[in-house]
Amino acid sequence: MVQYNFKKITVVPPGKDFIDIILSRTQRQTPTVVHKGYAISRLRQFYMRKVKYTQQNFHEKLSTIIEEFPRLDDIHPFYGDLLHVLYNKDHYKLALGQVNTARNLISKIAKDYVKLLKYGDSLYRCKSLKVAALGRMCTVIKRIGPSLAYLEQIRQHMARLPSIDPNTRTVLICGYPNVGKSSFINKITRADVDVQPYAFTTKSLFVGHTDYKYLRYQVIDTPGILDRPFEDRNIIEMCSITALAHLRAAVLFFLDVSGSCGYSIAQQAALFHSIKSLFMNKPLIIVCNKTDLQPLEGISEEDMKLVMEMKAEAMKTVLGQGGEPTNDEGVLLTMSTLTEDGVIAVKNAACERLLNQRVEIKMKSKKINDCLNRFHVALPKPRDQKERPPCIPQAVMEARAKEAAEKEKRKTEKDIENENGGAGVYSASLKKHYILSNEEWKEDIMPEILDGHNVADFIDPDILLRLEELEREEGLRQAVEEDDDFEMDGKELTSEEQEALAEIRKKKSLLIQQHRIKKSTAESRPIVPRKFDKNKEFTTKRMGRQLSVLGLDPSLAINRARSRSLSRKGRKRERSPAYDGGDAMDVDVDTPKKKLRARSRSLSLSRSRSRPPSEVTPGEGFKDSAQKVKAIKLGKKSVKMRNKDARRGEADRVIPSLKPKHLFSGKRSIGKTQRR
Amino acid sequence: MPQGDYIELHRKRHGYRHDHFERKRKKEAREVHKRSAIAQKALGIKGKMFAKKRYAEKALMKKTLAMHEESTSRRKVDDDVQDGAVPAYLLDRENTTRAKVLSNTIKQKRKEKAGKWDVPLPKVRPVAEDEMFKVMRSGKRRTKQWKRMVTKATFVGPAFTRKPPKYERFIRPSGLRFNKAHVTHPELKATFNLEIIGVKKNPNGPMYTSLGVMTKGTIIEVNVSELGLVTPAGKVVWGKYAQVTNNPENDGCVNAVLLV
Repeated sequence: MVQYNFKKITVVPPGKDFIDIILSRTQRQTPTVVHKGYAISRLRQFYMRKVKYTQQNFHEKLSTIIEEFPRLDDIHPFYGDLLHVLYNKDHYKLALGQVNTARNLISKIAKDYVKLLKYGDSLYRCKSLKVAALGRMCTVIKRIGPSLAYLEQIRQHMARLPSIDPNTRTVLICGYPNVGKSSFINKITRADVDVQPYAFTTKSLFVGHTDYKYLRYQVIDTPGILDRPFEDRNIIEMCSITALAHLRAAVLFFLDVSGSCGYSIAQQAALFHSIKSLFMNKPLIIVCNKTDLQPLEGISEEDMKLVMEMKAEAMKTVLGQGGEPTNDEGVLLTMSTLTEDGVIAVKNAACERLLNQRVEIKMKSKKINDCLNRFHVALPKPRDQKERPPCIPQAVMEARAKEAAEKEKRKTEKDIENENGGAGVYSASLKKHYILSNEEWKEDIMPEILDGHNVADFIDPDILLRLEELEREEGLRQAVEEDDDFEMDGKELTSEEQEALAEIRKKKSLLIQQHRIKKSTAESRPIVPRKFDKNKEFTTKRMGRQLSVLGLDPSLAINRARSRSLSRKGRKRERSPAYDGGDAMDVDVDTPKKKLRARSRSLSLSRSRSRPPSEVTPGEGFKDSAQKVKAIKLGKKSVKMRNKDARRGEADRVIPSLKPKHLFSGKRSIGKTQRR
Repeated sequence: MPQGDYIELHRKRHGYRHDHFERKRKKEAREVHKRSAIAQKALGIKGKMFAKKRYAEKALMKKTLAMHEESTSRRKVDDDVQDGAVPAYLLDRENTTRAKVLSNTIKQKRKEKAGKWDVPLPKVRPVAEDEMFKVMRSGKRRTKQWKRMVTKATFVGPAFTRKPPKYERFIRPSGLRFNKAHVTHPELKATFNLEIIGVKKNPNGPMYTSLGVMTKGTIIEVNVSELGLVTPAGKVVWGKYAQVTNNPENDGCVNAVLLV
């Protein structure tokens, strides 16, 4: 089945973009490197390929345009006419025709130039011919630019057309402007049509879907129609006329009995009679809308007569379909979309009549025989008057009865809950159905085990009591403390103590200030090396003075600091193991060495010592410490010169080659000097 | 508003986003910078194309600005007299430049006799013989080299029949034959696609003229009956001379200027 979906038409680029797309494609997809020295056949082939490829792309693109746009003669006449009304068939065909001509012209140009290229005898000539060929193709496309723009506009509009299936079950709503057509469709479908209190709010066809008897119905809202000659109708009205003419649908003719739409019943009746030829062979329902303003019974005699005339016309459609002449329900209906009176009745009547009509048509058609001869509904014929009920054995009957009784008897937890006061009041016991060897165990409290311990063991039974006690105690203590604080500020201190306190506070603030200054100058390092102590501030004398001010004996501290001073001579030498232990070879004499070391340490310094560099550790590969010392000396000597020159070392940043070949050789075409 | 216009519908119902116009304005303001960034980054053919486009825009802008300025600034009135302008007292006179009326054919005959042409392209590049002809080898062993193939565009009359190959010295390949030319009328400033009647003169030599070779500067005769030109005597002119202005073998078409 043909799907009327115009959303899938590909975009038609405007003329300039079209050319850009194709030419850049050619540039990208065909080889670009050619030299004068190539064999002439190769040169010719190179340029021929460009010309041909361009032509192919043009052909492809133009062909998709021609193929994807629907041909007005081939699609359903409803769409054919709708498109004609909206876009003008002649213009549309002309545009597509131009595209087709352009396609042929381009093919011809390509053919001509390929032929000429066969006689090309130099690169220059081949290239000029290629340029000429592509230029002429582009000129052709430039000329059809306006057509392409027009087609693109049409494409965009077509994609927005509502997808109406002309062959499905359809309910069509028509009538004068402003009689409540759109309100009705909004009531029965989810179409969400704009409703405004002025004429021609709906300017195009709108479609919605509704359900009746498990079948989907398509409901179409049409713009209002005015009663005037066919030629004078504008595009908006013509949309409605097209839909009325070509869709086999149930037609709802809306009549505004109140006349609040601005047209009298007489005018509406005139419209009805002028377009009644479009209602032929379709189930027609006359719907009197806006009964909340004016009930049908209240209208004047003449109007009533007009309405009845219309009804008689509508009855003819019933008769034409073989309906009974007496059955006039579902021909004239009243409703009010405002109060929603009778809206559903109208919908149901329309759907029902449409369904009946469609079934009837199907039954009459030839195709139905193909289906009908496959159906067979078998009904056993009664042989005689004897009753033959099904036979069910007695045992089965009994079992069934028993089962039913049991089902009834069984009480569920829910029943119990309801009996005992409903949810919240009663909660069902989960332990009731435990299967245990002793029934009494059911209600036992189960121990809760956490990390191998019984939780109950850790719970003090009278913890609440304890807590209360503790709180009470705390309260008491707090009260006492408050009293203490109060007393602290009293005149407990003697004048001496107060002085000391003032001194302490002064000192504290001074320290804090100093500390802050230090911090702000980023000199909060713990140790200041001597070389930075330019003013000779940190002397042992000063330390001694300060300590003595504090009331301490500074002599020990001063001695210690002096002993640590590096400027004292002779210490380093003492520390060296070579002097310490004499010869490292005599390993056997262990104890004296240890003793010596211990003594030397106590003598020289009290700080910790790292292993001297010359000491041999197993696994380093040195025979003795002398060898190691020599190795270290040699190593230092070897780097001495280099360090003095500040030459490049391993850890320095290295650029392996300052002039990489690929950046400094060959022709420069695309890219930058930095990156190619 | 049709059913599918969901964006419009939404705008109708809820209006624009609160910052819609600001965003739009900003986007437009940034557009210039974006374009310049692209212009600086684009490489190769794309860069060239973009630069060309930008240049065209700029030139147009300058032109428009200049035009606007022109309307406000004061300047001298140009005293140049237009071509063919006639004072008022001469307006009702017949425009006869020559005392004696000469027919078109007589004029052309005179020109032919004089052998001198006042043509739009007075000088042409001489074409060497080996550029004009390609040597074709023939014979069973491909040793004979007396045949020549013309490598330029040629005009071959409709009644032409080839000589038997044994005697055919010059071959004019059918792929390079042309019988229509794009002829520009210099006064009308319009171009017509006219049929070629014959090659009148090839500046490179009489042999090329007789072969019908069309190179740049060649005088050809074209059928101008479509233009409806009339001689002073009232006869319809149908043949007129034109000079080829392009290299047909490179462009794939013959362009010419009508000699009037």
